[in-house]
Amino acid sequence: MGETGSQPDNASGKAIVAEHLSKIFTRTKGTVRRTKSQIVAVKDVSFEVDYGELFGLLGPNGAGKTTTIKMLTTMLIQTSGKATVLGYDTQKDFTKVRQRIGIVLGGERGLYTRVSAIDNLRYFADLYGVSPSVRDKRVKELLQFMGLWDRARDRVETYSKGMKQRLHLARGLINDPELIFLDEPTIGLDPEIARETRQMVKELVEKGKTILLTTHYMFEADELCKRVAVIRNGEIVALDTPSGLKKYVTDARVVEVEGFGITEKEIAKFRELPEVLSVSADLGENKQILKIQTPKGSEIISEVQEILKGSRIYDIKIKEPTLEDAYLRLVEK
Amino acid sequence: MPEALRVIYSAFRMAMLHWFADPQWVIPNIIAPFIFTSVALTLFKDSTGPFGLYAVLGGGMMGMWGNTLYASGFAIEMERWQGTLEEVMAAPSKLLHVVAGRSVSNAVFGLTNMLAVFLIAVLVFRVQIEVDDPLLFVTTTVLTLVSVSTLGLIFASAFVLSRSTQVLTNGLETPLYIISGSMFPIALLPFWIHPIAYVLGPTWGVDAIRLAASQEYLSQTFWQGFDVNTAILLDVVMMMAITLAYAGMAVVLFKVVEKRARIKGTLVEA
Repeated sequence: MGETGSQPDNASGKAIVAEHLSKIFTRTKGTVRRTKSQIVAVKDVSFEVDYGELFGLLGPNGAGKTTTIKMLTTMLIQTSGKATVLGYDTQKDFTKVRQRIGIVLGGERGLYTRVSAIDNLRYFADLYGVSPSVRDKRVKELLQFMGLWDRARDRVETYSKGMKQRLHLARGLINDPELIFLDEPTIGLDPEIARETRQMVKELVEKGKTILLTTHYMFEADELCKRVAVIRNGEIVALDTPSGLKKYVTDARVVEVEGFGITEKEIAKFRELPEVLSVSADLGENKQILKIQTPKGSEIISEVQEILKGSRIYDIKIKEPTLEDAYLRLVEK
Repeated sequence: MPEALRVIYSAFRMAMLHWFADPQWVIPNIIAPFIFTSVALTLFKDSTGPFGLYAVLGGGMMGMWGNTLYASGFAIEMERWQGTLEEVMAAPSKLLHVVAGRSVSNAVFGLTNMLAVFLIAVLVFRVQIEVDDPLLFVTTTVLTLVSVSTLGLIFASAFVLSRSTQVLTNGLETPLYIISGSMFPIALLPFWIHPIAYVLGPTWGVDAIRLAASQEYLSQTFWQGFDVNTAILLDVVMMMAITLAYAGMAVVLFKVVEKRARIKGTLVEA
């Protein structure tokens, strides 16, 4: 596809404008008998992000967060809808978009592990067209900012998870982007490194960068984001400030049940109850915790005891809903 | 340095860094040439006449083509596997330039590979190889490497789209060095294969190399009625014309394939 060479359309004054974006993947199975199936990954997603904003895309695994980010970063072409990033159309002007954005997909993969951090960054600097006079200075600055300079010449395969994540971040900043896409930047990190990563994200916003962050942790979105879009099964089900999301649970209280021997079958029974708005479960090996959102509050306790009569109940608490409960309500039932 | 050249150089440098970071280079550059040369010399052991050049060229082409397929196919598969393919494709530079850089590195490995075959044949197997015009021999060899590498670019585009590169790599390895006449004259192959042989750049390249080594091969080439220098020139012109066509095809194919990969979402390991 050729590019138009057009000027950015900044009439909206927004860093990102996603309008009715949808993505359907077609998968083919079999060699002789070929069967096709379609997977709707993202359905009619629309939102806008302001310049300088840290916007969160929140949802469980498989909700469509990464697919949305990949469409906005030009790595995927949408099936329908339109997106502009920094005023450029992501389909028609994809090179211009790529020159101005940074992408951090994160995780253990996505780095050349057999070579050093310096060689990784130098390579991507060249791919992003960073001029040689700027490149080496910026590589050093980024590695210093990320606390990796002392190990900059070591092979990346010798790095810890946290160091790799910081190198991912450095790579995402190699072209000094106006807008950065961070896809689950703290996933799989231990709490201390995750906290460090969140701190770096905050510093980037303070430096004037616009950030779109995906996460499946409500607390992370609450700590970092000005606004959050909650995505479930490829659709945006809520878009608000983190505290504004609480309005989705003003009609309910949370019955928290702690027990042992609670099964999926029993959880399904709770979901069938008409007065239950949502159920989330943390099924640990030694203890299980259920969070049942219901407008009936304590009135439901007898039903809880009846359904769980085959299990051991340690404790039942009635709580006011939190932001986490608002998120669970939006993505669960 | 122009942007495209800088990307090509950077991809070349990255491929070289990986090559030296991984001791596996010993397999394609030392062990494989030894095996190829042994196979080729075994095939020609009962032949009469100057079979040494056929054996060395055959072994060299095997190594060179194997290297190209490895560089263009397996390297992309590795990029996909380690999650760097989509990072590379998300960058504003053209994927074609990145793969071209890898192909240049492949040409360098191919040269060392051919040199290894030559040395093994001469030093280990005591094959006597006489070359009429060493300068022309080296020049035609380098140009043939360029042609092989450009052919590799076309296959690389398929590797970007497909996740089954191993099957493609295995399926393509043997036909080229047979059809291009590296191992024995094309005249010995069934007639219906000849048109395929003549649209392969390396076919003309191998012819030119052989003629630069010894003019007695003139009777086995396409240009039998010409003098040896004209025949070499015509071989080179044909090879370069086909190579340019390959390069043009690669540009178009990469555009198509990149777009399809962005539609189908095949950049990551399933």
